[in-house]
Amino acid sequence: MTTGTLPAEAGTTVPAVAARRPGLLAALRFETLKLRAQLRAKCLLIGAILVPIAVVVVVHSQPRPPKDTLFGRFATENGFAMALLVLGFATQWVLPLLTAIVAGDMFASEDQHGTWKTVLTRSTSRSTMFWAKTAVAIAFALVALTLLAASTIASSWLIVGHQPLTGLSGQTIAARSALELVSASWAVMALPIVGFTCLALLFSVWSRSAAVGIAAPVVLGLVMQLVGALGGIETLRPFLLSTPFEAWHGLLAAPRFTGPLLDAVVTSAGWSVVCLTAAFLILRRRDITGG
Amino acid sequence: MRRFVITVVAALAVVVAVSGAVLAGTGGGSSVTRARLERSLPTEFARLYADQAGLLGHRGVTPASLQARAMCDKGGAVEPDVGPGSNWICLVSWTDPNVPMPPEGYGKFEVDVHSNGCFTAGGPSKLVGFQTITDRRGREVTNPVYEFDGCFDPNGDNTPTGNEFPSVLNVTTTALLPDAERKVSLQLSCGTGSAGCQGTVSAAAGDTPLGTVPFDVSEELTTSLHFPTPVPQRAQSVTFTVTTTVGVGPTSPVTLPVPPARP
Repeated sequence: MTTGTLPAEAGTTVPAVAARRPGLLAALRFETLKLRAQLRAKCLLIGAILVPIAVVVVVHSQPRPPKDTLFGRFATENGFAMALLVLGFATQWVLPLLTAIVAGDMFASEDQHGTWKTVLTRSTSRSTMFWAKTAVAIAFALVALTLLAASTIASSWLIVGHQPLTGLSGQTIAARSALELVSASWAVMALPIVGFTCLALLFSVWSRSAAVGIAAPVVLGLVMQLVGALGGIETLRPFLLSTPFEAWHGLLAAPRFTGPLLDAVVTSAGWSVVCLTAAFLILRRRDITGG
Repeated sequence: MRRFVITVVAALAVVVAVSGAVLAGTGGGSSVTRARLERSLPTEFARLYADQAGLLGHRGVTPASLQARAMCDKGGAVEPDVGPGSNWICLVSWTDPNVPMPPEGYGKFEVDVHSNGCFTAGGPSKLVGFQTITDRRGREVTNPVYEFDGCFDPNGDNTPTGNEFPSVLNVTTTALLPDAERKVSLQLSCGTGSAGCQGTVSAAAGDTPLGTVPFDVSEELTTSLHFPTPVPQRAQSVTFTVTTTVGVGPTSPVTLPVPPARP
């Protein structure tokens, strides 16, 4: 987020920008400002840094490793396994919640405060507002994910250690390569988290309620996980937004497989496009004057 | 409120319709298949077993030298070998000069496979040891092959491996209970394997033959054999000799005590 440079850019390129896309930069800057003023957003980012450290310390001090999650059986003696254990846990509901808390409130807060009429009387259109809010929500999700990943990997490395990791095909992965793979695994989570951000934005626009905007994506995420885990209906898995959360498994197998990663790109992009389109259409057609 | 309910119901209807169409179009096939498990489990096991050999100080064990092969089966003969579940059984054979294999030539692994292609396998402790092992420096360390997690490629090679192992036939009766006519019966269980168990059991009480009864049991099932000749009053035990034509049976005759006749 380069909010500090935005005013300067806007200032120097005012004639050109103003002629083509009036107000997108201004709207972006304004939305970022609103987000930065929110106590909730600050708390989330601080939590994304501090909570993983606490989790790593607590799990590391357990006498028995948590074997029911992938890599759990090595988590107390291997830092990379610990970082992947936390990743596996985070994908259950933490990542959807992390982004929904901000994105689910993005549009609904304007309803809550009755500020739609006020903001739209500035020289900004509904679509400009929409794209500015979407961009800020996605950027926030990526920043939060980056902080969470960096904090988890760093604290696992420092507290548990950086021994060679046993991969998902029994192979031994040297520390350097393990660090790259663990980082890549966390980076892959950017795909579904963008998808969940768009889902939260859709609920935020549609329901006009922050509670629905925050809770619905998390609940839907849990439902999709449940459906994805059931036997007999596994052909639905590629269509579920929870499946990309498991795409990193292939990175830690030998030979490596990337099919699920490609599926994750398609699934996440599909959900994002559908959710954003629906949200955009709902917002365009909405009667603002009444509310 | 009414509009909200209508929207939710409409959304649910669309989701169910799309799901139904997808399921109908694809037949609901699973990426969890016997062939994929039979390829990934022995590969991972061989690597971990070589790690264990290194911990124990056994020489000359490499993943390639073990020549590990697996035959996997879900839920016995009655269930198709496809889909996630905790009832997968994999029979794995390997060659380690330090640890002799049992007569059937394989160890039985219990495998819990998830729909995402990841599994947890538990090895046979009589062959791979218990949860912790003592390494060559005398330290207690975690046994890498006692229990392990793995994942296979959901789009990986799905052509059958053709690996087949025979079932193990066991006599499960531990004490004979003669009925009113002093006739006895014997319980047999046929373990996981490719073709079930077939053969005959001959019973004899001392010098008195009690008859020979054939059996034909599917894998992962039990059966009860009834012998036609009553056990003589003075007999104290009955010896059963199992001959298998399909499957691997007990190598020596099984002798079971008979309770004394009631006066």
